[in-house]
Amino acid sequence: MDRAIGIITTNYDTPELRELINGRTAASVPFAGRYRMIDFALSNMVNAGITSVGLITPYKYRSLLDHVGAGSEWSLDRKSGGLFVLPGSVFGISSPGSRFLLRDLRRNLVFLTRAAARYVVLTTANVVANMDFADLINVHEKSGADITMACVDATRDEKNLSNVHVENGKVTGTSKGVKAGELAFADTFVVTYELLMKLLEWYGAIDYLDFFEVISGDYDKMDVRTYKFEGYLRTIYAAENYFRNSMNLLNPAVADELFRKDRPIMTKITDAPPAKYAAGSKVTNSLIPAGCHIEGTVEDSVLFRGVTVCKGAVVKNSIIMQSCTIGENAVVENAIIDRSNKIAPGTVLKGSPDAILIKEKNELAI
Amino acid sequence: MAKKKECIAMLLAGGQGSRLGALTKSVAKPAVSFGGKYRIIDFSLSNCANSHIDTVGVLTQYRPLRLNAYLGTGHAWDMDGRDGGVFILPPYATESGAEWYKGTADAIYQNIDFIDLYDPEYVLILSGDHIYRMDYQDMLRNHKEHNADLSVSVMQVPWEEAPRFGIMTADSEGRIVKFSEKPKNPDSNLASMGIYIFTASVLKKALIEDAKDPNSDHDFGGNIIPNLLREQKRLFTYEFQGFWKDVGTFSSYHQTNMELLDEHPAFDLFDPDRPILSNTNTQPPQYIGPRACVSESIVANGSRVLGTVDHSVISTDTFIGEGACVKDSVILPGARIEAGARVVRAIMGENSVVTQNSVFGSEDLSVPIAVLGNEAVYGEGGKK
Repeated sequence: MDRAIGIITTNYDTPELRELINGRTAASVPFAGRYRMIDFALSNMVNAGITSVGLITPYKYRSLLDHVGAGSEWSLDRKSGGLFVLPGSVFGISSPGSRFLLRDLRRNLVFLTRAAARYVVLTTANVVANMDFADLINVHEKSGADITMACVDATRDEKNLSNVHVENGKVTGTSKGVKAGELAFADTFVVTYELLMKLLEWYGAIDYLDFFEVISGDYDKMDVRTYKFEGYLRTIYAAENYFRNSMNLLNPAVADELFRKDRPIMTKITDAPPAKYAAGSKVTNSLIPAGCHIEGTVEDSVLFRGVTVCKGAVVKNSIIMQSCTIGENAVVENAIIDRSNKIAPGTVLKGSPDAILIKEKNELAI
Repeated sequence: MAKKKECIAMLLAGGQGSRLGALTKSVAKPAVSFGGKYRIIDFSLSNCANSHIDTVGVLTQYRPLRLNAYLGTGHAWDMDGRDGGVFILPPYATESGAEWYKGTADAIYQNIDFIDLYDPEYVLILSGDHIYRMDYQDMLRNHKEHNADLSVSVMQVPWEEAPRFGIMTADSEGRIVKFSEKPKNPDSNLASMGIYIFTASVLKKALIEDAKDPNSDHDFGGNIIPNLLREQKRLFTYEFQGFWKDVGTFSSYHQTNMELLDEHPAFDLFDPDRPILSNTNTQPPQYIGPRACVSESIVANGSRVLGTVDHSVISTDTFIGEGACVKDSVILPGARIEAGARVVRAIMGENSVVTQNSVFGSEDLSVPIAVLGNEAVYGEGGKK
């Protein structure tokens, strides 16, 4: 029997991601130049030695499955265990902020019964962190708790996160929304296998609720504790914090913490050649992945694979996704340009730091 | 019995590449880094993959560990299928003892069993140390059209350079009438590229006869080809048009890397139709710092550039500190150029270091390219 198995949920509503989820799921939103949101959850699982991972998909899962494939990039294409793509429920989403819908877990009981383990680690695909899940499991095991919730101090007011209430070291409940400095649930927890199975059985009648809504009356009967994560962690459920957290990656200390060598974040590999910088290109304070071709100016920006910035073009404080071309002398500032956009020469596209301009996939063509 | 193949490839990757000394101290030449994120063997293997040749025997001998690890399951080149794949073929022991590969032909001879396993009509023989892009199917088509026993891929070289190559003299049909190794007075400028397609039965017979000859060096160029010519076999040239470079010396290695930086390079790494595939670990995008300046360069993922990079190849996972300057250089994976250091007209080996404020290399064109070996440290704390 495995010590722990993993479940990654992706079947939740994220209307605030707006244009970024046109034609893709919240889990497959591109991030950090070459990754997708889900890469963090999958890599954290695998880096902790978890070899059976259930991925609960939302209805529109094409982009997600295109990315994860058979799980080979995460060494999850295995004989024993592996990546299990599980169906999420279509009509299940009960309320904004629900991340661990009980119905999604109950529908996939077979995954749980076949991959029996002592512990189950659950997380969402929209947590950006390099968290040592092995340590989380160790702490959970040592304490003898029934459930251990990973928590962080909220860095700002955030209505998409839950506040965790603790008394005498035990969790007494959660509430929606969190203020800066309060203890926020990091949408990641470990639960003892038997308890999870019992809860799924007992609460079948109200399985349209979120896991933490379901157990809200049981905190006095269960031992629920917190695991304080002190590292860099952000959740991304809205376009506004997508932009801000992307820009955080320009801080080398943040990038070093997320992309550590001993616990690498893995992603689908494409064979792009190294980035090429022409004579006269000017790039400062930016993330540039392989496959880019830069002749113009790029400042304070995050580019994705296969972006071309032509002569005289200027990209400032922006995110330019895969396969975009910024034409000669075009200017892009304070913007998110989603993939495959061709920006005509001389075009000026400007948002403001408070109102980031978003161009959808394939919106612009030359 | 494995599934019969029309054509399999045998890739000679056992050479030491001694002229690349400091870069091949711990790795075989085909595993030496090239072009920022590739290893030299990627080019031949990608040619196989792009030519739909899915069964490749890789003959290894010198320091094979890193090469073996790099090849892995062959997955990176889509060569981990059920039928075929990448096979590492080291020298091995038999009932009558054990021997090293005594030459290129002997290496293939000792693996005739491998060829028999796939029972191919044709065998493509490749070297793992050339930078080029070739459609081997086109060469095979040419081979079949001529009903050839052996096709030798050739390219025109300037007449004055012909004495450095193995030169094929062919008639108007392309049939080879003479082969001269490094001729003083060449009568042709068609140089052999070390790429051969044999009709399998002809190859096997030639190898078996060569193995019996105690005076043979067991070399394709030196023995097999002259023998086949003597036997009046049908040897034809396949004239290749395009970019092809042997990167066997520091200067050719450095120059070929530098040519990638041209605005319209003769060898385009970006060609999406015939991509160069490689086995890379996931690295985050490169970070170009607030005071960095990068020009006329290629930079691979995982690198951090805080200083100046001018006309250079910066490989995966390299660090260039604040105020450091790299010019006309090839920096291999994992190298570190500390703050204020200057690296010019140099090749820095894998995981090598130039310490703070040190100067490595020289602008003086009469001085050869400076080379720092793998894992070496130059400057304070290392060699001066």
